[in-house]
Amino acid sequence: MRFKMYGSFRCRMVLLLLFLLLDCNFSNCLADTSSEATTHTNNWAVLVCTSRFWFNYRHMANTLSLYRTVKRLGIPDERIILMLADDMACNARNKYPAQVFNNENHKLNLYGDNVEVDYRGYEVTVENFFRVLTGRHENAVPRSKRLLSDEGSHILLYMTGHGGDEFLKFQDSEELQSHDLADAVKQMKEKRRFKELLIMVDTCQAATLFSQLQSPGVLAIGSSMKGENSYSHHLDSDVGVSVVDRFTFYTLGFFERLNMYNNDSLISLFSSYNPSMLMSTAYYRTDLYQRHLEEVPVTNFFGSVMEMIHTDSAYSLLSRKESFRVEIKMSADKSVPDKKRLMDNPSDLDQISELNIEDQHGALKRIWSTIQKEMEKVEDVDAFVSYGLVLIVPLLAVSMWLTW
Amino acid sequence: MARFPRPTISLFLILSFQIIFSAIAFGSDFQESDEEEFSEELLLRPLPDLKVLAHFHFESRAPPSLSNSHGRHHHLFPKAIAQLVQKFRVKEMELSFTQGRWNYDRWGGFDPISSSNAKPPGVELWAAFDVPQYLVDASWKNLTHTLSGLFCASINFLESSTTYSAPEWSFHPSSGSLRYGTLPREAVCTENLTPWLKLLPCRDKAGLSVLMDRPSIYRGFYHSQQLRLTSPEFEGRLESGIVLKQTLTVVLQPDSQRASNTYSSETKLQPSWSLSSIFGRKVTSRCVLAKSSNVYLQLEGGLVTELENVQKENVISWIDNVGSEGWRTNPFFDLSVNPDSVLREVNGLHGSSSSVLYKYSVAKYSDSRPFDLGLTWKSPVVWSCPQAPLHASRFLIGSGNERGAIAISLISTGSNEHFLGANIVEDRCKLEVDIFQVVPWYVKVYYHTLRVFVDGQPQAVTDVVEKMRVSPSEDKVSPGVMELVLKFPCDIKSAALTLEFDKGFLHIDEYPPDANQGFDIPSAIISFPNFHARTHYFEDNSLKKSPMLSMFQEKSRVRSYSEVLLVPLTTPDFSMPYNVITITCTAFALYFGSLLNVLRRRVGEEERFLKNRAAKKASRLAQLLSMLSAKIRGKKWEPPQSPSASSSFISLKLIVKVVLVTGIAIAWQYYSQ
Amino acid sequence: MEPKEQSKEKKEKLWFWNWLIASVIFRLVLIYFPKNLNLASRPEVSTPLTSLRRLAEGYWLKQLSVSPYAGSMYHGSPLLLSLLGPLTVKRIEGQPDHLLCSLVFVIADIVNAMLIRATGQNLQMEYIRSLKLLDHVKLLEKPGKIIPSGDIAALVYLWNPFTIVACVGLSTSPIENLAIILSLYGACKRQAPLAAFGWVIATHLSLYPAILIIPMILLLGYGPDTPPRKLFLQRRNVEVGDNPPNDRCCEREEVVHRPEVPHIFSWRPVIHFLCWTSLWSVYVLVLCGISVKRYGGLWELFKRTYGFMLTVQDLSPNIGVLWYFFAEVFDFFRNFFLIVFHGNILFMMLPLAIRLKHRPCFLAFVYIAISSMLKSYPSVGDSALYLGLLGLFVNELADMQFSFFLFCGYVGVSLLSPVMHNLWIWRGTGNANFYFATAMAYACLQIILVVESVSAMLNHDRMLRKPLTELQDGKS
Repeated sequence: MRFKMYGSFRCRMVLLLLFLLLDCNFSNCLADTSSEATTHTNNWAVLVCTSRFWFNYRHMANTLSLYRTVKRLGIPDERIILMLADDMACNARNKYPAQVFNNENHKLNLYGDNVEVDYRGYEVTVENFFRVLTGRHENAVPRSKRLLSDEGSHILLYMTGHGGDEFLKFQDSEELQSHDLADAVKQMKEKRRFKELLIMVDTCQAATLFSQLQSPGVLAIGSSMKGENSYSHHLDSDVGVSVVDRFTFYTLGFFERLNMYNNDSLISLFSSYNPSMLMSTAYYRTDLYQRHLEEVPVTNFFGSVMEMIHTDSAYSLLSRKESFRVEIKMSADKSVPDKKRLMDNPSDLDQISELNIEDQHGALKRIWSTIQKEMEKVEDVDAFVSYGLVLIVPLLAVSMWLTW
Repeated sequence: MARFPRPTISLFLILSFQIIFSAIAFGSDFQESDEEEFSEELLLRPLPDLKVLAHFHFESRAPPSLSNSHGRHHHLFPKAIAQLVQKFRVKEMELSFTQGRWNYDRWGGFDPISSSNAKPPGVELWAAFDVPQYLVDASWKNLTHTLSGLFCASINFLESSTTYSAPEWSFHPSSGSLRYGTLPREAVCTENLTPWLKLLPCRDKAGLSVLMDRPSIYRGFYHSQQLRLTSPEFEGRLESGIVLKQTLTVVLQPDSQRASNTYSSETKLQPSWSLSSIFGRKVTSRCVLAKSSNVYLQLEGGLVTELENVQKENVISWIDNVGSEGWRTNPFFDLSVNPDSVLREVNGLHGSSSSVLYKYSVAKYSDSRPFDLGLTWKSPVVWSCPQAPLHASRFLIGSGNERGAIAISLISTGSNEHFLGANIVEDRCKLEVDIFQVVPWYVKVYYHTLRVFVDGQPQAVTDVVEKMRVSPSEDKVSPGVMELVLKFPCDIKSAALTLEFDKGFLHIDEYPPDANQGFDIPSAIISFPNFHARTHYFEDNSLKKSPMLSMFQEKSRVRSYSEVLLVPLTTPDFSMPYNVITITCTAFALYFGSLLNVLRRRVGEEERFLKNRAAKKASRLAQLLSMLSAKIRGKKWEPPQSPSASSSFISLKLIVKVVLVTGIAIAWQYYSQ
Repeated sequence: MEPKEQSKEKKEKLWFWNWLIASVIFRLVLIYFPKNLNLASRPEVSTPLTSLRRLAEGYWLKQLSVSPYAGSMYHGSPLLLSLLGPLTVKRIEGQPDHLLCSLVFVIADIVNAMLIRATGQNLQMEYIRSLKLLDHVKLLEKPGKIIPSGDIAALVYLWNPFTIVACVGLSTSPIENLAIILSLYGACKRQAPLAAFGWVIATHLSLYPAILIIPMILLLGYGPDTPPRKLFLQRRNVEVGDNPPNDRCCEREEVVHRPEVPHIFSWRPVIHFLCWTSLWSVYVLVLCGISVKRYGGLWELFKRTYGFMLTVQDLSPNIGVLWYFFAEVFDFFRNFFLIVFHGNILFMMLPLAIRLKHRPCFLAFVYIAISSMLKSYPSVGDSALYLGLLGLFVNELADMQFSFFLFCGYVGVSLLSPVMHNLWIWRGTGNANFYFATAMAYACLQIILVVESVSAMLNHDRMLRKPLTELQDGKS
């Protein structure tokens, strides 16, 4: 709930400047200070479209549909990390500029007036993806590009693109291996960056991407089993390419019926996938997940609905809030010297570099001090050098004559 | 087309004037007490090639941070920008997102809009900081990251030192604390416009920004969204705080059925348009927080000349008759709404006649009666925009992926005859041109191959180039920057510069995912320091000095951007790094092993070896092989005693081993599957 | 008898001079071709280190009082810059550009040829003398057995297409070769200062000749190539051991008076050499320091030249294999492989020196071949050098294996690699692997050349040894 205080954009900017420096450990220190009672406090979503080029329009449409859904179900924009590998909306080939549709009846413009893309184009790389998951950014990265989840947060991780057996291609140039994904999730667990994580992948052979996962609290949905392809749903003859994938299409079909207050369980979502419609069998990996899917509403991941905690004494809750305040305040005044440090850092580095350049020069000077001195007297350097070069010949002659 | 009976109009006029004057008084109050203020303006201009230029101008001022008592609190000024300025101590900054190219010869190259709002495609960012020299790069880095978070763009690619440069004098008069970088291939779309609008106090909910319907804006031929802020307080001028200018320049094509059916461009009737037809929306109300919210319709000098030529027979010029109908209707076009006032340009420098500005104040319109300015053309008219003295274009020479040449060609537009008086350097007239060009490091320019052609004749570089600064590109560290000041005789027809370059070869990881698309050379900036694009409009009331018009007044040198060049670079084979590594290492192992083998061979043991080989019969195969090798060497074959034969025997053993290993490997492959 | 010999000698001399003049004319004709056949931009000819175009850029920057090393264009030595720089800007009306530079390179080639010839003659005298000492009279008497290796080597160097291309293609490698050959010549002639000068300049121009200091010292210590010392010792034992019949008395006389070969290491010239080396290096360093003192001093110079050579930064293709390797290898392995590849040059130095210490010139040849094979930016100029030196050992390497195969290989590669380059860069139909394959084949050829020549030289020594062993066997 503390994030809700900073809902609006400006407050985000405030925090951006506030936490510019210590974001990477911000989530950790919060996790440390907030007590072990890991109640579900907030929701995050990481939506990734990994494939480039116009003919992959449908992948961006998938991701944007999910983006719209989770926004509709209550996850605010600053808690959605949206990665789009290419720009389809304003693509020169797009007949409908600044619009993206996931259905041939162009009822719904997914690319409405209020979309915030955090990573786009060449930024969508495996490295950045892992940096987002594990929260290892360099200091200057702004807050809107970080996944600031804590041990109480439910994270929805949706990925779509072209995949294969235990890999997912990023921008046709690099792969995300299932081992890497499992490793990143493990790191997140150890850093207590999530309470529960739902990974939803819509690629060919999506199930193989989960084979290495081990961390508890992870739930995985894949669009197709090993050896199966996931197919696109239908082609829009106006846009000229197929606009949505089957798995995502039916997922949206499920969610369109819902609003924030339904509590359909995850099992109903899972059971809603019909292999004959998908033309592939959706795969669920639930063995790492403790709770029963029947009593987990989908809004736990796809929305931002907190369950009410009844505490007999309001005092303790106050104290907790107090602790948060203290926490944030201390981080604030911690951030001030940090900012100073940032401003000093380059200077230090600079001095250091100057230093070692200095002693290199010093070494040289110690050797050539005398020569340097008389070099100062030389005005026309080039003439001097050429004289020296000419002087070589008589020197050679003389020396050879000496040793003859 | 809201036609109302006269009394209502007059009533509305009175009401509106009251509002305006109250606003003025309000604003003047603002002037005295240092309060934040905000103003929104929209300029519309019909273009000669049947298009319409719309230029939004939002300006918000914050009082100096020292003077306001209540700390860092802002109620109009966007807090994000204020804090950004305070944190990175930004003296001056300009960020622009652009798609499409400004068509200089059709849309004009001499007016303030074209010289300050025509930008290169993609993202252009430059900023001047008020920090010590060694900190400038760090602040730049942080600034780029912050802006990338703020505007949902990958501006943070500008942090690497290979992308930005530090122009000294040709780009901006500012000192060495200025950094300049462009991303030519950055996509610009809704997600960039939305945060830009969120900086406005009314967002896009009220006021002129309501017009910004995304599809209609991004359907345009050219749109450039720009954010420029100046904070003079860092130079010690404490009387004025941060000034934030947000402009959006769009060139739209009004869909016109009547105009499209006649194809001869001479007699083509300009398409009629209205705000609702080009934007799909109407202005319902002003942004109540704005000090002034005006809409201007500008008729360029050329157009006004045409009008006046036609109306020669009228004794009094059509501008000067005060009847309101005279403003609305003339033989060429009708206006759907009556302008509040008409401003003429004083001392029109360019063009025989001076341009005219119709001014509308949005204040008096409301939801019940939205403001929808429409212009209906009645008879075709052809005019031309004022041009910059030289039209610049840039292109590549040469084929193949090894080398090439960049050529910048300057062609006289013939419009600089009447400037001859303007700049007389000693006895004869000189036309001065500044060129600023940044070239990425993988395009290795040989600056000593710079050649200058004037009217097709090659010239010695020294007598054309007045001043020159070159900082050559350093591999993977810094781009190459070239700043030139050229002086041509005023009567040149054309000039050209050529520079040869070699194309670099990158590491496999440095290629982007779509490497075969090629790499971009950012556009060069050609500016004319002796020509200043300024249009000063005579305003009756000096109190309500409109920010946009005052911006048009300030002296800004005429500047034009050249094309972005696309250079294809050869790519290595991305698929086989492992093969290359293994094969190379094998070759080195071969060298090492065989040479060591040759060196450590001893005579004694060899002879012993020969003896006992002679003792037991040499295998047929060995003999055959040695015979074969002898044949190859064209020497007569003697029975193997010589070490050559022995070495051939060794090589036989080697071959056997290799065959064995490969066989095992193949079998393994076969059975493993 | 005698005059006929004289006339034959004269004829041979004339024959040599004709060929030399012909080669000069050929070069001049090539120079006068328009844009000298675009050879200057061939990757085989002009590497980042040797291309004259980059040198001109550096000189231009220097004229603008910018550091010539600003921007990664020029990586050569400042002395070369002040030597050739003025020539690059000088134009003669009606003459092709860079005429003066080309003339300089032609002259350098001629001087190279003459020095190689002198060295060859020196080596040959030594060879014949040692054979005489060893009584390999049959080797001497066999007609046409002893080929005038000096002339052969000089002509091989002059007419080698690689040399011609490197000379006409405006690459600075002829000058680097000049320095190397100068040092070899000086060492053969036991001219310590000349050898030291050549070595210092060669090392300064292109770092790799630094390893030539070992053959230099051996040359100055032992003198030019001879069969192994052991043979002389054994030979002496044999002569002392046997008691000859009377009719051999005269021979025994000359056996007694036979000049003794110096098989003891003489330190004096080596000491001279080292002193002169230090003197020359100080001199060169001072000159460099003066010329770059405005541009960051010597450290900057070393970083921009030797650092650029050792850390292969420029990935533009050349006939070596390292460019493609480092374009493809992962960044975190880069340093490791840099160390390994440069270590490969050093690993082999000691074994070769131990095994070939009696043939320092040949050792120098092997070193040059290895370094030109493993150096970071190889060009055909380097190959031209070691192929020319190979001619010096015609007699010893008479029965080298795979010589025909090597010849065909060289021809094939030098024809294929331009084709592949054209397919990849200009046509865009081939890809980089094609060109890399030819580079790999070229590297393998060089490897085989080195290995086979070394083994052939060792076999030759064995062959010299054989009669002695037979003699001993007969005696015992």
